[in-house]
Order: sequence, then C-alpha cells, then structure tokens
Amino acid sequence: MAKQKNFGMVIDTRVCVACSACVYACKSENGVPEGYCRDWVVQETDGTYPKLRMENRSERCQHCEHAPCVTYCPTGASHYAGDGTVQIKPHRCTGCKACLAACPYDARFVNPRGYADKCSLCQHRIEKGLDTACVSVCPTSSLNLVDFNDPEGKAVSMMNGKEVYRQKEHAGTSPSLYWISASNKPGA
Amino acid sequence: MTEMTTEIISTKLNPNVLPHLHIWEWHIPLYLFLGGIAGGLLVITSIMIILKRKFGIGPKDEGDGCPCLAVRIGSLLSPVLLGIGMLFLFLDLAHPLYVWAFYTTIQPTSPMSAGSWILIAFFPLAVLQAMLVNKKFLRERNIGIVNKLIDWTEDHLTLVALINSQIGVGIGIYTGILLSFFYARPLWSSSILGMLFLVSGISSAAALMMLFSPDDEKPLYSKIDANALWIELVVVGLFVLGGITGPANNSGAMMHLIGGDYQMAGMSYMVWFWGVFMALGLLIPLFLEFLEAAGVHIKFPLVAPVLVLIGGLVLRFLIVFAGQTYHTFM
Amino acid sequence: MSHGQDLNRRDFIKISSLFLAGSAAMSSQIGQTLTGGGTAFAGNAGDERVVYSFCEHCFWRCGIAAHVRDGKIYKITGSEHHPLSNGKLCPRGTGGIGQIYDPDRLAHPLIRERKGGKSTYRKATWDEAITLTAEKLYQIKEKYGPQAIAMLHHGYGYTFFKEMFKSFGVNKFAKPSFDFCCGPRHQGYILTYGHSAGTPEGIDIENSKYVIFFGTHYGENMHNTAVQEISEGIRRGLKIVVFDPRFSTLAGKAEKWLPIKAGTDIAMMQAMMNVLITENLYDKEFVEENTVGFDELWAEVREMTPEKAAEITDIPAEDIREVARRFASYAPSAAVHPGRRTQWYADGTQRVRCIAILNALVGNYKMPGGVVKYEKYKLPKAPHHHYPAFEKEIWSQYPLFTDIKPSNTMASHEVMQQTLNDEIKAWFVYGVNVPETITLGRTATLEAINKVDFLVAVDTLPMEVTGYADVVLPECTYLERYDDLDGGRPYRTPFVALRQPAVEPMFDSKPGNEIARMMADKLGLHGVFEDSVEEYLDKRLKTAGSSLEEMKKTGVLLAEPTDLYRKPGEKLKFKTPSGKIELASSKMKEAGFSAVPKYIKHPEAPEGYYRILTGRKPMLTFGRTANNRFLNELPTARENDIWVNPEVAKQHGLTNGEYVHLKNQAGVVSDYPIKVKVTERIRKDAVYMVHGYGHYFKKLKWAYKRGASHNQLISQTEIDKAIGAVGFQNNFVTFIKEA
Repeated sequence: MAKQKNFGMVIDTRVCVACSACVYACKSENGVPEGYCRDWVVQETDGTYPKLRMENRSERCQHCEHAPCVTYCPTGASHYAGDGTVQIKPHRCTGCKACLAACPYDARFVNPRGYADKCSLCQHRIEKGLDTACVSVCPTSSLNLVDFNDPEGKAVSMMNGKEVYRQKEHAGTSPSLYWISASNKPGA
Repeated sequence: MTEMTTEIISTKLNPNVLPHLHIWEWHIPLYLFLGGIAGGLLVITSIMIILKRKFGIGPKDEGDGCPCLAVRIGSLLSPVLLGIGMLFLFLDLAHPLYVWAFYTTIQPTSPMSAGSWILIAFFPLAVLQAMLVNKKFLRERNIGIVNKLIDWTEDHLTLVALINSQIGVGIGIYTGILLSFFYARPLWSSSILGMLFLVSGISSAAALMMLFSPDDEKPLYSKIDANALWIELVVVGLFVLGGITGPANNSGAMMHLIGGDYQMAGMSYMVWFWGVFMALGLLIPLFLEFLEAAGVHIKFPLVAPVLVLIGGLVLRFLIVFAGQTYHTFM
Repeated sequence: MSHGQDLNRRDFIKISSLFLAGSAAMSSQIGQTLTGGGTAFAGNAGDERVVYSFCEHCFWRCGIAAHVRDGKIYKITGSEHHPLSNGKLCPRGTGGIGQIYDPDRLAHPLIRERKGGKSTYRKATWDEAITLTAEKLYQIKEKYGPQAIAMLHHGYGYTFFKEMFKSFGVNKFAKPSFDFCCGPRHQGYILTYGHSAGTPEGIDIENSKYVIFFGTHYGENMHNTAVQEISEGIRRGLKIVVFDPRFSTLAGKAEKWLPIKAGTDIAMMQAMMNVLITENLYDKEFVEENTVGFDELWAEVREMTPEKAAEITDIPAEDIREVARRFASYAPSAAVHPGRRTQWYADGTQRVRCIAILNALVGNYKMPGGVVKYEKYKLPKAPHHHYPAFEKEIWSQYPLFTDIKPSNTMASHEVMQQTLNDEIKAWFVYGVNVPETITLGRTATLEAINKVDFLVAVDTLPMEVTGYADVVLPECTYLERYDDLDGGRPYRTPFVALRQPAVEPMFDSKPGNEIARMMADKLGLHGVFEDSVEEYLDKRLKTAGSSLEEMKKTGVLLAEPTDLYRKPGEKLKFKTPSGKIELASSKMKEAGFSAVPKYIKHPEAPEGYYRILTGRKPMLTFGRTANNRFLNELPTARENDIWVNPEVAKQHGLTNGEYVHLKNQAGVVSDYPIKVKVTERIRKDAVYMVHGYGHYFKKLKWAYKRGASHNQLISQTEIDKAIGAVGFQNNFVTFIKEA
C-alpha cells in the first residue's frame, strides 16, 4: 500500500536570483487572474553600504499543518487535503474572507470569480507525479518539491548541515515550506 | 546606536493584502453595530420581562401581561435590526450565491461558523418574544397560528426569555470573539474584545431604548445605559492597556489605533478614538446621565443617547479598519 | 524626387489603431489566455499539444515547449530536450504569451503617404508593400550601387533577409548589439585565445571553486544555463567575488563584494596581475609553454601595485591582494568571467583582454572550473545561392572589427555615419528599434533617420522605428514561424535546434522567410530559396542524417558532449598569429594599438552629477518586452527607478519614491520623470537605472510613458578605434525635482 504523501517544499535561498520565472509559470499554469498572484518573489537586503547582505525568496502559501485558515473556515471550503497540502473547494466558499484575515503570511486573495484562492501546490500536477509549475521552471533549482514521508529522505538530506528556518514559526502554524538561509556558505 | 536598514523589494500583486489587509469595508462595522444593538436589546428586554413576571420589578405594565412600551418596541426592533445587519453581511460576501454553504456544516473550530448558526438560532425565539410582548395588538388580528404561538410562548415564557438573554449575550460577544481569534491581526487579537463588543452593544441598545421610550420610562434606561457605559469604560481601558503592554505586534497595533495618524474619512484614528469615541461617545454621555440621575435636568436630554450610538458605531469602524491597516503579525 | 530637402519628410507618424491588432480581435484571446479562468487545467489530453521550438527573447535561444490548447498557446515551459534549458526557463520565456497576444501588435503592412502636408500610414496589401520595397531598393541599387543599401538587424529571423540581400549584391550588415554590447568580448578573446568567448560563455562555472565577476549581473540578466551553472556551482562550493559599483543580485551571493569605482576595472585587473606575478602565484609552467608576451605584460603592470590601484579603484589594497591570492590558490579551478555587455568606455576590448590574460596567468585553460572551449554540432553548411561579387568583404573602417566569420560587415554606428555622408541611401531594419538603440545617441540617430531616402522596418510591434519608416512589414512572432536552424553555437552538448510555429500567424503578419522569398521573387532573384521553408529545413536536416519530421518531435539534435578538459601532456594550439595565447596581442600592435592593456583614466562627473550606470531586469529584454502586459504586470517590472545612495539623496533633498527628472551633462532632460530609489546598494558617485523604459510612441499602449529612457540621456559616446564598438558610460546626470 502506497504511503500517504506529505508534500512540502525546500527552498534554497542561496541560489535564488529573484528572477520571478516562478511567478509567471504559476500564472500560466493556473490561470491566475490579472492583478493577483499565487506566488511572489522577495529580495531582501540588509545593512549599510558597503556591508550588505541579501536573501532572495520565492514565497507562497505555506500549506501549514496547523493552518489558521482551515481552523477558521466556516464552511470547510479550506481544508487539509490529506497529502500535506491545504486546498480550497470553490463551490463551498461563500467569500466571507475570514481565511484572508486568518493567514499570517497574507498568502490568499479573493479571486474575481468570488471565492478565496491561493497556491494549490499544483495539486493537479503533483498527484500525477509531476513537479509544481514553479519548481519545474526554476532555473536555479532553488525551489524543490519534497514529500516528507519519502523513505529516501530527500528533504532531510537537502537540509542536512545547513541553517534552515521556517517563516513565522512562532505563530504555531507548522508550515510545510522550509527555507535554506542565504547565510549558509556555498557547498554547505 | 546605528540603525540597520532593510530594503525589501517584492513582486507581490494582491490588492487584498497590499498595502495592508483590505477585505472588509463598511458592511462589517455596520453589521457589528446593528448586531451589537440587536443582542443588547434582546438581553435587556428578556431580562426585563423576567424581572417583571417573576419578581414584579420594573416599569408599569400595559396590562394583560404586556410590558412597557420600550420593551415592546425593543423586542420588535431586535430581530429587525439583526435582519438588516445580516443583509449587510450578505452584501459583503464575495461568493453570495454560495451563502447556503454556511448552513450545510458545523465547523467547531470556526467562530464564524458558530456565528452563522447563532444568527439563525436567534430568530425563532426572538420573534416569539416580540410576538408575545405585543400580543394585545396581535390578538386583535385574530390569526390562528399566531395565537397558538403566543400561547405556547406565554406558557414557556421564563425559559424563552432566559434563553433569549443568553442568545443576546452570544450575539453581542461572538463578533468580538470572531475578530479576536485572528492572531494574524494584532489589534484584534485581544481576549477582551468580545466583552468590549458585548458591553458596547448593551450600552448602545440601552441608549436606543432611551430614545424611543416614553418619558416616564426614560430614567430607567438612562440608569442601565450609565452602568453599561462605565463598565464599557473599564473594559476599553483594559483593552487599550492590554494592547500597549503586550509584545511589539500588539503594542504597535494599539498605538496605531489610539495614537496613529492614519486617516479614516478625513480625520486621524487618534482624533476619532479620543475625540469621538471616548469623549463624545463615552465620557460626555456618562457625565450627562450622571447629572440626570443626580436630578439636574438638561435642556436637551436626548443628546446623551445619540452620542452613545454614534460612539458605538465609530468604535466598530475604528476597530475593523485599524485592525486591517496595521501590518500582519510578525 | 525631393528627398532630403523636406524636413518633415520623416516626421514621426503615430500609427492609427486601425492598423494594429486592435482590441476587438484581441480581447477574447487575451482575456482567456492572460487573465485566465482561474482553474488549473485538469489535463484533457484531447485538444492539447506541445510544440518544441526555441525562444526569441534573447540570444541564449533556450529550447521551449509551447503548450497549445484550442488553438491558443496558454503556457510556455522550458524544453527538457534542449541543452540550453534542461527543462527550465527564464521569466521572459514564460512571458512569450504576452508577446504573441499583445493587442498592440502590427497587423497589416503599412505604406507612408503624404497627404496635404501631413504624413500618414495607409494599410497596404503584401503585394503592394513588397512591390514598393523591391522597386525602391532596385532603383537605389541601380543609381548608387549596392553599397548604398544597409541592413540593421537583431533577432534570429534575419538569416533569410541576409541571404536575399547577399544574392542581390548587398553585403552591408550591422548588428547594433555588437557595437555597444558584446563586440569587445568577442574580439578581446579572439585576440588573446584565438576563439570567441562563446554564447554561452566558455567558463566551467559549475565545477569551479572561485569565479570573479566584473560588473556582470547574473540574476538580473537571466541567461538560463549560466544561472543554472552558478546555482549548481554554489551547491558544490563555488565562491563568488563581484566587483561592481552596485550591490547587484549576484553581489548578494558573493563571498566578497567590492564596490569598485566605475571605469577602473583595468587598473584593478592590472593590480591583480601585479600581485600574481610579484608573489609568484601565477602558473609559470603554463605561461612559459603556452603564452607569448609575458615580458611586455609585466612591463606594463609592474607599476600598478595594489596601493596605486587602491587610489584609482577605491578598493583597499589588502582586499586586492586577498582576491588575487585566493584566485591563485583555487586555480586552476578558478576563473574570471568575461561577462557579456563589455563596452562601457572605448577600452572595452583591452578590458576583456585583461580578463583573458588573468585566466591565462593561472593556467586554467581547458581545466575543470576554468576557461573551456565548447564544440559545435557538425551540421553541414547550407548550400547557398550564387552571390555576385562584393566590392568589399568587410565595410567597417576599424582594423580589428571582427575576426569571426562575419555575420556582420560593419558597426551599426558606421551605418549612421555613412548615411549622414550620403554613402548609404536605404535601410532595411529587421527588429531593431533604431531611435532607442544606442549607436551614437538618439540625436545623431534621428538625424540619420531623417536623411535616409528609404527606410523599411520589419517588426512585430509598433516600436518607435516603425513611426519613421516608409514601409512597415509586420512579421509574426517567433511562436508563429519557422526560422533557420540554430546550429552554429558551441556548447557542452553540441546541438542543433529547430524553430517551428506553435500556431498560425495572426492577422496579416507573415514569417520572415516568406517575406524574404516574396522580396527575392519581386527583385527577380531566382533560386535563392526553396519553394517553402519546410523544404529548406528538411533538405538541410537530411544532410545531417535527420529530417524535419523527426526533428519536430523534440526540436533538437544532440551530439556527444564536448570533451572539455586537457589531457596530461596535451599540446594546446591556439588560432592566434603566434599559435599561443597572446598576452601581448600582435594584431593590436600591428594595427597601431597598444599590445597590452593600458589603464586610461576616464572622465569624472561634474560637481553634483553622477555617472549613470545601466543594466537589466530579469523579466525584461528592453524593446521586446516593453509592451508585454503579462510580464510587466509585476510591480518590479512596471517602471524603472533611479538608484541613489542615501547620502547623495540627502544632499539633493530626494526622498524614496518621489519622481524626478534627470538632466545629463549636455543639458538633455529626460522626457518623463523617474522614481527615486534611495538605497544602500550603490556607491556615492554613481546612479543606476534599468535601460528600456520611457517609450514615447503612444501606440505602445502599455509601454508609453512608463519610466524614463536611459537612451535619451546618452549624449557622449566614445568609439573603440580598434574594433568599432561604442562606449556610452561617460554620461552623468543630476536631478531635477518636480515643481
């Protein structure tokens, strides 16, 4: 019997160049409406000239294990899909927007068609064994789709020995996106 | 100490969260206001019914079991105002044709699910109560089913009124709880918000009852209102202090509300909060009602309740807007 | 004919929207494709197909997979078969759908007419337009000779036009990107190693341990496999050093960012050579065996100590020493990257030679992590039509114009110059937005445009150049046509790639191969082309043992990977006059230039002015994407901004986000204001703005008035007299606050 999947991502910010290919690929793949995005790119620079540090990140819904959006949804439209992702059933969404208020990552938007929308981790692709659109296009392979239940432990080996963090962990959301910090040395 | 600068460039495109959360506009504060009043009215009227029926306390009856005019109008207004409020909620929905989805499930962890059901549960008993207190008028219509319902309610009045008072509290409090569960929005994330909305709802309801009650009943409602106002003052104080003494997110959000220069309809939050809500909406009415109670008659006695209502409305707008314009939980 | 006397003759015509794609025809396509239905495609295999081709957004020409559903391309991904993509794609490639479904596309051939003193365009049939073009070209050739006609081109579809012109006897071809972009890089390498740096560049980044970049901004320029290699390199332990006045994205990954003063790279590299030689860190054996000119080089760099360079470059001497020493310690798995746009001042060629020399000094040639030379796919050359004898093979006046088998015969600024001298009478412009393309600056360019007798523009969008043309011929986009095989570039895995249409050409646009064939027919040139481009491609592929049918399946032919590294005891051979790596270039010397790179001090900014630096954004390719709504939707793409150091901002009273006009040293004021970005990421003596904004043609409905034009602020240019490339970095700006 095939083991249940627990999808997430490991994102290596050391190599990300903030090119935004992931943003456009997602838009094409998922027909994201104009004026909105399901994923986005952040370039953060800290310090004062000439001592500067930079981290580039491709961000999206974190598919939390304790997702406030799922806790909060009054109709069960936002739900845990059983594969480690959080999905939305548009036909059960009333557009109350509680999930937008609940999300500490500001990852959701209201689709002009009326329902709440966000990164679906390309469920229609990953269930067929493909990578998500953003992972497929990423020219630096910064984005990696992982299955935390994978017995080969690719996720762990990717993160082994590196400084890895999750965003807003103190919020208690237990997000499924793991970030390899840009402060890691090359070859770490 | 030199300041470390952080430069963030983002490609994010989302008018719902940029430049700040922007999901709820006037519909929600208006609903909160009307819902608070409806809940407050239900609480006040049901308690007054019990006090009169069981303990004989309260203003004179109209006779034949019909309580005073204020209670009759109040009981009627409660479901009406809540209905109007629910209309606003419906208008706020982005996917209105799917509103039925609220009622095909109960999501125990969702205050909004609880709220949607409370809103429904509210109506049957509140309407029955409204019918009962206006039975003299309704009996004249001589509609069979109506008479039957009034009789049933009469028989179970104590229970109905008690339940209604709890539902009233529920209506008043759940909206605050609903907002306070959003820890991603630091301003709302306060355990006392539910209590604040409840007390504010009661003070607004009492003020409304003051407005439409006959002169001889006014002092009673003035007293109820005054009490509600000073409790509200205490609760607001705790709300503000709780925010300011909290961690950075919470203190920042509270300062954004009470000390911020962010504008709402041309004035800063600070002016709205201290000038309109606190001064005009709480302190001055409290003072006026205190004078009333002390026997000093004011030339324009209805100033106080109107100010209280304005204050209640402004409070809702401030909290809903300021909660969205402050940044997400960091 | 009163050409040249009528000053308004070439006044700028705003193309009426009647002649553009138009909203009605486009809206349904755009609506569905770009704004999307919000539902992910569940995968009905029925009406969906994937077409393999290669992209045209830049010269990397990555392999793409165009996904077509219901006759519309709804997404473009990287081709998993093409070695330049490996399944990945840059943002511009994915944004191709924004180009093909651009509502402002040219839809019909247009002919300029004068009516009542005003110039307008009228819609024309292809026959009319081609006939007029052919007639004019024929007349001009008869009257002035074939050297009176020149073709300016940028874009892979130019090959058919080149073939046609050569058969016609015309061989004046110029590609502006040689002048101001990569010319020096090609020539600098050829003069030193005897071969070009290549596209992709021959640096074994993914196996390297230490790569130094001078001003190259990978990440902001998105060369697919270069970025893939840098990422792989980082995962394997590659350390990056970046010399750049600006903290670029690449600098953000560097173990050391050195904010070098602009214009002093040669001094820095000479100092590094100085350290390598003084401290005996260079590969003596390699240098002795494989190079010539060491003594001349040493004579030149012995004075450039790190201390002296520190004063010039504003980088501390100990940093210079540290980088040089670490470079040597990691060698031969260490390299200096040649970059691509390398003409900033008039000494670009020598600057690239410095890079080549530094690589040679540490002996990293054909070593893992060093300089490598890729191989080409052995594709037999296409048989070509008989060309009449050309008066000259190369028309450029510059002695070292190019040693590569020329795809170009002169520099594009020479086309301008020769037009102003009445030597050139007609221009055929293929995919070049001449007024916005830096050849000699906008003013001189517009002068030349006004002088030329006949101007034909072949383009996809109504770029500014189309407003000046006599005939506008709408070519369809790369997604709607066949082009020649891409088989001439050396790479790790030698390849040939096919460009094939994913959908039919839209409106009345035609592929270049068809336009060229029509012109050849009209000019009475027979047998230049096969009856159809498919026939031509099939014939060519058959000589390589394949066929069009076969190649359409994956879009590529692959050969065995290049054997990159030197074998022990292998004797290296270089196609230079000496047969060795020329640290001192004999060809430069012969042509009367310095054999070894010399540091020349470049002009400083006047008081209150700042040197204007430029570059790219990863989702844009200047003119090609300026009007692309899909790509430009992102807030980072919508406009450019001017990067200003906080101290400079304070001095001029600038706040972050305010709009200002820029004025350059010649008094030129930018037409449109630009947003100020106060940032720690740039030196105090320079400012930075991305090129390619500030379009002034209203018909580019999206691009119109967005951002400010960098091109407009170029008044001063310097010409590299050796190869004819044009530098434009000696331009300085100050700020004019809005009233």
